[in-house]
Amino acid sequence: MTEDSLPRIVGFLCKWCSYAGADLAGVSRLKMPASLVPIRVMCSSRVNPLFVLKAFLSGADGILVTGCHPGDCHYQDGNYYTRRRFALTQKIFKELGLEADRIRLSWISASEGKRFVDVVTEFTENLKTMGKNSIKAEIFL
Amino acid sequence: MKGKIITSQNGLNQAIKGILKSLLEKGLFDAILVPTRVPSGESFVYLLIKDKNLIESCTPLPPIMPIQGARALRELTRLGKTSLKILCVMRPCEVRASVELSKLKQVNLENISFMSIDCPGAFILKDYINDPEKFDKLYQNTLKDWEGENIRPSCNICVRFSHQDTPADIHIGKIGMKENGVIIVPLSTQSNELLSKIDIECTQETTEWQTGIKEKLQKKAENRNKAFSELKGNVSGMENLNNFFSNCINCHNCMRVCPICYCRQCFFDSSDEVRIAAENYFSRAQNKGGIKFPTDMIFFHLGRMSHMGISCIGCGACEDACPMDVPIAQVFEFMADELQKMFNYIPGRDREEQIPVLIYKEDELHEYEDMEDLK
Amino acid sequence: MKALKISKLPDDAIRELLLSLFERKKIGGVFALAKTNTHNYAYALITNKELLKNITPTIPLMPANAGKLLSRLTMIEPVSTPIAVVVRPCELRALFELVKLEQAKLDNLLFVSFTCSGVYPTRFMIDGIENKLKAYWENIRTGQILQDLRESCRICENFVPDNADIILTLMGKDNSNESILLIKTEKGKNFLEDKSGQLIEADLELKKIENMRSKRIDEKKRVFADLKTEDFGIKGLTEIFGRCINCHACSKACPVCYCKLCYFESSESEYSSSTLEKELNKRGAVRLPTDTVFYHVGRLIHVGITCVGCGMCSDACPTSIPVFTIFNKTAEHVQQLFDYIPGRKIDEQIPLSTFNKKEFEEVED
Ligand code: SF4
Ligand code: SF4
Ligand code: SF4
Ligand code: SF4
Ligand code: SF4
Ligand code: FES
Repeated sequence: MTEDSLPRIVGFLCKWCSYAGADLAGVSRLKMPASLVPIRVMCSSRVNPLFVLKAFLSGADGILVTGCHPGDCHYQDGNYYTRRRFALTQKIFKELGLEADRIRLSWISASEGKRFVDVVTEFTENLKTMGKNSIKAEIFL
Repeated sequence: MKGKIITSQNGLNQAIKGILKSLLEKGLFDAILVPTRVPSGESFVYLLIKDKNLIESCTPLPPIMPIQGARALRELTRLGKTSLKILCVMRPCEVRASVELSKLKQVNLENISFMSIDCPGAFILKDYINDPEKFDKLYQNTLKDWEGENIRPSCNICVRFSHQDTPADIHIGKIGMKENGVIIVPLSTQSNELLSKIDIECTQETTEWQTGIKEKLQKKAENRNKAFSELKGNVSGMENLNNFFSNCINCHNCMRVCPICYCRQCFFDSSDEVRIAAENYFSRAQNKGGIKFPTDMIFFHLGRMSHMGISCIGCGACEDACPMDVPIAQVFEFMADELQKMFNYIPGRDREEQIPVLIYKEDELHEYEDMEDLK
Repeated sequence: MKALKISKLPDDAIRELLLSLFERKKIGGVFALAKTNTHNYAYALITNKELLKNITPTIPLMPANAGKLLSRLTMIEPVSTPIAVVVRPCELRALFELVKLEQAKLDNLLFVSFTCSGVYPTRFMIDGIENKLKAYWENIRTGQILQDLRESCRICENFVPDNADIILTLMGKDNSNESILLIKTEKGKNFLEDKSGQLIEADLELKKIENMRSKRIDEKKRVFADLKTEDFGIKGLTEIFGRCINCHACSKACPVCYCKLCYFESSESEYSSSTLEKELNKRGAVRLPTDTVFYHVGRLIHVGITCVGCGMCSDACPTSIPVFTIFNKTAEHVQQLFDYIPGRKIDEQIPLSTFNKKEFEEVED
């Protein structure tokens, strides 16, 4: 498979968990499609919904927001807020007929290297069946 | 001044598109900034076009001016020059606004060239959006005989509708030209060379066109004088001002669409104006028995005028965007005219000329000061 | 509940009430719509009781959402002198949201409102709305929806000002010779304690209200179904917002868009030319000004939960984009998701500033 035909996923990875999880996956030499462009954030709640929207409108095929499992957020409650905002963003996507399946929220801990790989692989597969994000070619944005 | 006359069977816009295509194909420009009809058809926006196949869809001289072109260029180059060679296809007032903004460091003109077009005026935005078909038809006539009915008041009194005081690189003329005639006029030696690269040799006389302009100018100047003398009576004194602005809901939209009003946050929306203690409002109310909300409507208009009046190019964008149909552009143009006469300044006419309020002479304007010793 | 009966037209009854509050030194000011010129009306803070004759609280216009204006007034500190505020239900709801967002303060405000039959587009003020008033009041009596009102008003179900202290009952009534002012709260009672005049027992005309509500809901279903937002997708969005001139008047008019410097006007939203060149290479062409769809969907993300459905956004739009319809329809789904009605109760937190540990498991994995 060539790089070009792979979907491009913008991934917001929480430094305390998912980013470490991704690291672990790397260190353990787990195989994973090269579809993810990782962006490290201090907490999943740092991910302004506008980041997700902007990435989507810029033509990212998928946007993945990851964080610590509920209850484990380094800042106590960050990810509970993340979940609410994500629910809201997803709702608005759905109500406006935008492809809500291109955005995904996953909890991945620092020890879940395998889970990280699984999430990225599965998301990549899903996005492949959806095809490219056509917004990339849209002019009148 | 020399030019090249071409005949355009399919209208002015089609002729210009042909030129744009050649310029892009020959690689003389990397991209073209030009108005284009929106997908749903009832308006136009600026597109920066690189793909030459998209040129066919543009409308170099659309019947309305929904977004002042200088605003588009401002967005593109506010943070610095572009590395692409870009040709901006604009109405004359849009070119002047762009140049004026460059003096205010809000537009960077490096790598930017302008093509201005003889402007028959634009329709009122709201009218057009309500019935695009009707106005598209009317526009065909406007482009033919250059007599505009339903044209915006600002355009009716505009005296710089052609190449006058407009520092473009290439100008496209149509006024006074016989059936289907269009004249391409390079305004500098570089543009002359540029045009010859796409086999446009500009050696023909421009008399026909110049005469057309002269006639048109006379008419517009009359309109202008008449409009201004009417306005004068309507806006002098507080009571008249209040009446003039009686429909204003103080929404500041006129400021937000004005190409010259470039501040990221307008003073009149800033903390100084918006974060005011309740007690302050209260004592102001008590002085007069009551105070209107939002407050400071006249302050806003006069204040804005004092900020940018010297640079107002009379484009009418403010009036188009006013939800309450306040003839806001007319009063701004009228005041701007007075201010600009004071300093013998025409905004945007010259890339080098500085804005008078950003410079001074030691020996000037004594009629406005009082140096006498007090008795 | 207790009510004040005043045998006068609604505006006169409100004036009489306010005057008596003034005279008994219960209030030092009034915030209400007032006539400013032959055909013009604007909100005003009035401190001189002689000027009360100019107020026109029921004139069917909303040149600005009063919630936003009251946030201006009380942003830094509450008013120290009590004032009576006469505004419409959606303006009151907007104010309550703004209080939750720490943009306004309620102290010392007495709220007077009425069962609201809606307002006309502000543009109608240009030609004067005086000739509309006869039909307006006639339809209040017969309980019909006037088709030339703002769309937001034709489909509004929250037209009873539940959180006002004093409610003037208008809907479904004749209103030509008597006005009933319900004293809804303790605060209302306190302001009126030594007021002379006829106190009666009265209540909202619930049947007529329900009747109107069901008509409005039908109308809403129709209006919302007509605008197929759920089918928009990016094509639909670029079409409906295609003619947007990026003036942001919709956000400036919106009471719950309170940011002093909006994200979409901040330096975050300015791009270097190289960024735009990248976009150009990707798409072959770029719309300027940029970020039209980003602005609208982004603003919807910001205000979807707090949109009070006042319709100011559509009213302000110079290119008549149905901003309200798109926003309110989508907002309704968002608000249902969180079971939230903005401005309903002051002690109800805005869902995005709180959370439950167990919820929305369907959106995560
Ligand atoms: S004030 Fe009005 S007419 Fe003058 S430059 Fe600004 S938008 Fe144009
Ligand atoms: S003149 Fe028009 S656009 Fe300007 S503040 Fe008044 S109502 Fe708004
Ligand atoms: S989005 Fe529109 S309807 Fe909703 S609160 Fe704001 S102005 Fe009112
Ligand atoms: S769109 Fe968002 S950032 Fe802008 S004023 Fe509204 S809430 Fe604030
Ligand atoms: S008011 Fe209308 S034109 Fe202005 S930004 Fe909003 S939708 Fe666009
Ligand atoms: S620190 Fe990982 S989600 Fe908050």
